[in-house]
Amino acid sequence: MSGGAAGAPKPLPSSGPKSLREMPHPLATSSSEEMGPALTPSPDLLLPRSIADKDLSLPNGTPVDTSSPASSSSLLNRLQLDDDLDGETRDLFVTVDDPKKHVCTMETYITYRVTTKTTRAEFDLPEYSVRRRYQDFDWLRNKLEESQPTHLIPPLPEKFVVKGVVDRFSEEFVETRRKALDKFLKRITDHPVLSFNEHFNVFLTAKDLNAYKKQGMALLSKMGESVKYVTGGYKLRSRPLEFAAIGEYLDTFSLKLGTIDRIAQRIIKEQLEYLVELREYGPVYSTWGGLEVELAEPLEGVSACIGNCCTALEELSEDMSEDFLPVLREYILYSESMKNVLKKRDQVQAEYEAKLEAVALKKEERPKVPTDVEKCQDRVECFNADLKADMERWQNNKRQDFRQLLMGMADKNIQYYEKCLTAWESIIPLLQDKPETK
Amino acid sequence: MESAAAEPSDSRPREEAAEEKEEEEDGDGAAAAPRSGPPPAEQPPAPAAATMEDCLSKKIEITVSEAEKRTGRNAMNMQETYTAYLIETRAVESQNEGQCSPVDSLWRRYSEFELLRNYLLVIYPHIVVPPLPEKRADFVWHKLSADNMDPDFVERRRIGLENFLLRVASHPVLCQDNIFYSFLTQEGGWKEMVNETGFQLKADSRLKALNATFRVKNPDKRFTELKHYSDELQSVISHLLRVRARVADRLYGVYKVHGNYGRVFSEWSAIEKEMGDGLQSAGHHMDVYAASIDDILEEEEHYADQLKEYLFYAEALRAVCRKHELMQYDLEMAAQDLTSKKQQCEELATGTVRTFSLKGMTSKLFGQETPEQREAKIKVLEEQIQEGEEQLKSKNLEGRDFVKSAWADIERFKEQKNHDLKEALISYAVMQISMCKKGIQVWTNAKECFSKM
Repeated sequence: MSGGAAGAPKPLPSSGPKSLREMPHPLATSSSEEMGPALTPSPDLLLPRSIADKDLSLPNGTPVDTSSPASSSSLLNRLQLDDDLDGETRDLFVTVDDPKKHVCTMETYITYRVTTKTTRAEFDLPEYSVRRRYQDFDWLRNKLEESQPTHLIPPLPEKFVVKGVVDRFSEEFVETRRKALDKFLKRITDHPVLSFNEHFNVFLTAKDLNAYKKQGMALLSKMGESVKYVTGGYKLRSRPLEFAAIGEYLDTFSLKLGTIDRIAQRIIKEQLEYLVELREYGPVYSTWGGLEVELAEPLEGVSACIGNCCTALEELSEDMSEDFLPVLREYILYSESMKNVLKKRDQVQAEYEAKLEAVALKKEERPKVPTDVEKCQDRVECFNADLKADMERWQNNKRQDFRQLLMGMADKNIQYYEKCLTAWESIIPLLQDKPETK
Repeated sequence: MESAAAEPSDSRPREEAAEEKEEEEDGDGAAAAPRSGPPPAEQPPAPAAATMEDCLSKKIEITVSEAEKRTGRNAMNMQETYTAYLIETRAVESQNEGQCSPVDSLWRRYSEFELLRNYLLVIYPHIVVPPLPEKRADFVWHKLSADNMDPDFVERRRIGLENFLLRVASHPVLCQDNIFYSFLTQEGGWKEMVNETGFQLKADSRLKALNATFRVKNPDKRFTELKHYSDELQSVISHLLRVRARVADRLYGVYKVHGNYGRVFSEWSAIEKEMGDGLQSAGHHMDVYAASIDDILEEEEHYADQLKEYLFYAEALRAVCRKHELMQYDLEMAAQDLTSKKQQCEELATGTVRTFSLKGMTSKLFGQETPEQREAKIKVLEEQIQEGEEQLKSKNLEGRDFVKSAWADIERFKEQKNHDLKEALISYAVMQISMCKKGIQVWTNAKECFSKM
């Protein structure tokens, strides 16, 4: 990403929560505490003066507090590259755990406990603990997409599971889902804009979410909180280079991830087939040992050893299925939703350009550009700024996530080989042992 | 019915067998007691079995150093392609002389090795004769060729043939055989020499041997157990080799798929800025990982070959047991025959007919024979009985000798087997350890690359 004025933008450190807190969005509502250093998008997009001057509002009508200017000098105060940020700089912590099965007459489903700890003023209490089910998360995500259309919303694990193929209530499935849901909320928590979203607040705090949901629906229809400002039908003249680049990047990225997903699945499949053969192989040594006298112990030892390797292999395959594949898929989903946001951005720009052109044609208007067109222009600039900021944040988180993911994969393989190594090394003395007497 | 003096086989365990076994492959423990006499076949009287020091393997170095493709005409004047193996021998010089003696060499093909072995099997039925490497590639996993002309197969066969020669050369009894010595040293006319021994005539027919298996009454229990053991051993090693081949196949698949990571990481790295280098170099390690399986599995083939040798050894063991059964059967038949002749004699002498016989009936029908005729018959029978008793005695002796010497060799074989298989298992474990260490290394390297992303 092209840098701002002073200091090259440093790559942001660790994934997830910590780093993002340090970078309140230029348009974010001011926090009572620190105005941390801000992320600076390209100067041509961000116009501090115009922000201060103009009557800006987010597309849904929320006025924007502009009292926290982006300053280039604050770039220098940017993050320590150290992964471990002290907890003091964070004021919101969210965790998903404790899955429980609920059996009702109509249906059976799982709920998860969502725990919040915070010092933010937006929250009445310092701690909350509520139970939520998948559809509540789904609702939240939809709300966020609606209310924050210029931002990248993290993905949820897949909604639909083919019944009969996967057991929705198996420990592995539930645990995988829990991890994904936890990741989802943590990503939102770390986002300087999304974490202040009122729907998010309610999600974390409300005892009865359903009531709020219903109320929200009513309000929606009344106030027309429609975000369908993606008017559609406008043709984009030229996409700014950087967004075109992002689009291309995301295309290739999700392609490559898809390939990696297929390779990983293939490896797991091959490993399981290898395991099947190993499970037959080990016992044959045992059978042979039964025929022998002096060789009985060594053969039995080899049999046991192979058994241990089988166990280790099983663990490796399970780990890959449960930890590796889901994260890959998450990022593929992420890419998809990001591409949609890019499309929306294109639409907003297209609308602006069309209106601008219409005005230019009308010649009667004096130099002062009508407010309507001005609003469009602001929308475009806002969108671009939000998107750029989110994109950079996403890139860094992605780097950290994949670094962790791939290191994890390497680790699991190392552990597998270490277990096998231990097993084989331990039987060498057994094999070399000479019987005392014949 | 009174049974003749067919002695049941000696069931006393051999006392001499518990000699200490040397570790080396070549040398042989002095566990084999001297044979009590020449084996039943017409081998020229051999000296007592060689001690370890005298074994041929200590006197000459034997290698099968090369393999060469040849074409020629076979017995039916049709063109054929075959592989010839170069056998090199050289006298082992004592340290003092410090000179390298000249190498003698000659070429032999597999069928000649087979001829040699068949000869040894017939002439030394009480010895567990070392087996040849397999004739056709068996127990192959998909990447291995089943083609006899495949260079890897030929190479492994070359090693197997060398191993066979070394085994024979270090056997206390077999190493002294002239035909064996000629096989190593005399290129021309060897085949004729072997055939002149007429050993084929002495071979027991398979049918006879099979017959004996089912009808022998008093075999030595040890041999019965041993035969059972050899059957089980063959079965279990076959099973093991089959599954091992499948395991190798699957493992190959696992490693090779990882190679795909190499390519995709490379492609991905092209669109990344900070992550690019880490991904690219990690991908390289994935390629290394995928390639490493070839060497690993090639090494494992040696282990499979060691197992195969004992699979075939089990067959040789079985052959010795069968020979015992055959001899015992022969003995029992001879004893039975003697008994019936004695009975006949008695009947003729006393005039009583105890058992039904066709002769008896016909004589009743067609008239009694004259006293002179009867006397003549009795005389013949008495001669036959005397012959029979002598034969029975010698058969008994032969049987006992066979059991003694066979059991001695079996004990020797058992020691060898236990030692060799233990070594094979150890080397297999070492291979696995090496494979694990390589795996750890590669993934550690990859992890290092990922950490730099």
